[in-house]
Amino acid sequence: MERTTIRNIAKRITGADEFKPLVALIALYLSSAVISPYFLSVYNQKILLLQATPLVLLALGETMVILMGSIDLSPGSTMALAGLIAALSSNYYGLDIRLSILIGLLIGALVGLINGLAVTVAKIPSFVATLATMVGARGIVLLITGGESIYGLRGYEWLTDERFFVANMVWIMVVFVIITYVLLKYTSLGLKIYAIGGNEEATRYSGINVDRVKVVAFTLAGLYYSVAGIMMDARLQAAYPWTGYGSELDAIASSVLGGIQLTGGIGSPIGSFIGAYILTLIANIMVLLGLNPYLQWVVKGFVLGAAAIALSRGLRYVK
Amino acid sequence: MLGITLIHQERMLFPNLTVAENIYLPLLAKKNMKKGISINKRMMEEVARKYLGLVGLEIDTNAKVKDLGAGEQELVQIARALAEEAKIICFDEPTSPLSRREAERLFDVIRDLKKLGKAVVYITHYIDEVFLIADRVTVLRDGSKVVTKPTTETTPEEITRFMLGRSLEEFYVERREKKAGKTPVLIVKDLYTKPSTSTSVPLKGVSFELNEGEILGVVGLLGAGKTELAKALIGAEKIERGEIYLYGRKTRIKNPAEAAKLGIVYLPEDRKNEGLVHLLSVRDNIILPLVNRLSRGKILRDRSIEENVAKDWIIRLQIKTPSAETRVINLSGGNQQKVVVARSLARSPRIVIFDEPTVGIDVGAKVEIRRFISEVARSGVSVILATSDIDEALSLSDRLLVLDKGRALGIYTRGEIGREDLIRILSGEPRKA
Repeated sequence: MERTTIRNIAKRITGADEFKPLVALIALYLSSAVISPYFLSVYNQKILLLQATPLVLLALGETMVILMGSIDLSPGSTMALAGLIAALSSNYYGLDIRLSILIGLLIGALVGLINGLAVTVAKIPSFVATLATMVGARGIVLLITGGESIYGLRGYEWLTDERFFVANMVWIMVVFVIITYVLLKYTSLGLKIYAIGGNEEATRYSGINVDRVKVVAFTLAGLYYSVAGIMMDARLQAAYPWTGYGSELDAIASSVLGGIQLTGGIGSPIGSFIGAYILTLIANIMVLLGLNPYLQWVVKGFVLGAAAIALSRGLRYVK
Repeated sequence: MLGITLIHQERMLFPNLTVAENIYLPLLAKKNMKKGISINKRMMEEVARKYLGLVGLEIDTNAKVKDLGAGEQELVQIARALAEEAKIICFDEPTSPLSRREAERLFDVIRDLKKLGKAVVYITHYIDEVFLIADRVTVLRDGSKVVTKPTTETTPEEITRFMLGRSLEEFYVERREKKAGKTPVLIVKDLYTKPSTSTSVPLKGVSFELNEGEILGVVGLLGAGKTELAKALIGAEKIERGEIYLYGRKTRIKNPAEAAKLGIVYLPEDRKNEGLVHLLSVRDNIILPLVNRLSRGKILRDRSIEENVAKDWIIRLQIKTPSAETRVINLSGGNQQKVVVARSLARSPRIVIFDEPTVGIDVGAKVEIRRFISEVARSGVSVILATSDIDEALSLSDRLLVLDKGRALGIYTRGEIGREDLIRILSGEPRKA
């Protein structure tokens, strides 16, 4: 009797969506600690957290979209556009910093809303719709800036100030992880998102307004990306036009590493959080070891491949 | 390639390829095939036509399989098995999507297979089919063998008893005596639809009324437009013209979500693709349409209330599941169907459209679902029951709407029409005076 309960508990732990990514993260932590004596230093851990923070936000937004069986290619560009608009509002138009940030966030949500409407009203596949906003938003950023960065941003110090050992933006990120988890697992919207990813037709016939859910999820995702954009402004104290270039792939990779299935319906946002952390950790350890920085792409590629194999074990076939 | 082919209930065809390609494709895997890089189109079509001829299907071999009706798809699949020269052919419920004529043609094909020395395993719920074609019969119940007998040494009644493990009378669900109300909740006038896919049948001027607490059976052969009618009513099929009055008010429903809000729910025929979210638990599937209503402030889910609602339905419909948390994918077909039924009714609709609610499920679940439909109507809900099972239609319906190729052949009141009359009408013969 006792043995079976222990076995059941063990099964619940190992069967959880977050289990495999967590094991991978722990393994990477241990091996990194062995390889580099600096890895576990407080200073390095703080840097790691700070570096991971914007990507976690992108990964969480991306996860909401992927869980519905859609895909979002716009995170990187949305993040850059939102960050730029916020920076312009305060630095160029002299608006209050709080108002500027709010405008930046609304811009992100607007891009998300456009994605959502493109998918539901115009019926453009999400890959194509978000490819268009990805290219378009980046284009707007480059047009406005002429490819130059906007330096000397002020008013973001509260995000980089430390409280309880780490920067405030890290705590904000943690709050977003918790909010997203609650949103997906404990709200009606969350169930609808999982249901759409599981079987969209069935969800429609059960009377759920699927299009509305999609618009809401894409808009929320856009909002998340813009939060990441504000965080980048704070970290760099500049709005850099190529911010987030290629980040959409990191966001998707984080979700995949975290056990989110690209066909939708399966996975936990905690997994994506771990996935984003793993990707950041790989870049971090490469720097610590003084290796060629370009090598990190190769290693990331291998890790992603290995993770995909681990996650698809037990499946008969995949596409 | 051991020469065993399964003709599955859920048709294993490539919907995106043509009929000819579907039939020809398995041949490419054969060792003794002369293989080239290119495929000889003419030869492929010839092969396809030859085997289609054996199953008596005359069809354009260049048509895409997804554009065929369910019955035609099934015949294509049988043709493919023949092309593969399978030695053992297993049929899993082959007749459920077929019309009577198509089924008879299938039986002829099966008898021919026997003559060719092929072994046929025939899985079915229809006992009369067993006695039509089988030499021996094996009865399975709850995963174990009950009996194997030559068909000459047994009777349909005995087999039914073996299958049910209970008496035969219980199998027939007779409609309750209480009369349906006379207030029409839904009036459809002269409905025309635009086909949404090339397989769907356009409705051509269908009119009927649905009264409160009534079961209106909708019968017709394959391609009669039953599913199209059902989907048009919930806004999932384009309406070209015609009028729909809901609770006395003229209405045009845009989508299933709006229909649900107005109290009309549709229980899809295609359980796998349109019915269930397989990855979710039994509980989540049942409460899905209710989730806002059951959540605190419409947002935060309340697991204990959800659990209670789900458990009520599990008990009410006797859904056999280890727990409410079990994923639906792990349930049997009959229990999965009960989950869909529960979900459709969870929102307390005023009108329920059941589309083939008992196709492809075991006899026990069939009886339970039929009994439940009758119960639902007794509680005042109006039911549209689209079915190709005429016994189901006759035993449950207050009135019967007979469809044929998108047109209404007539509406008959209970008792006005018998089994033989209905078969005659459906097979296109004039009714006996």
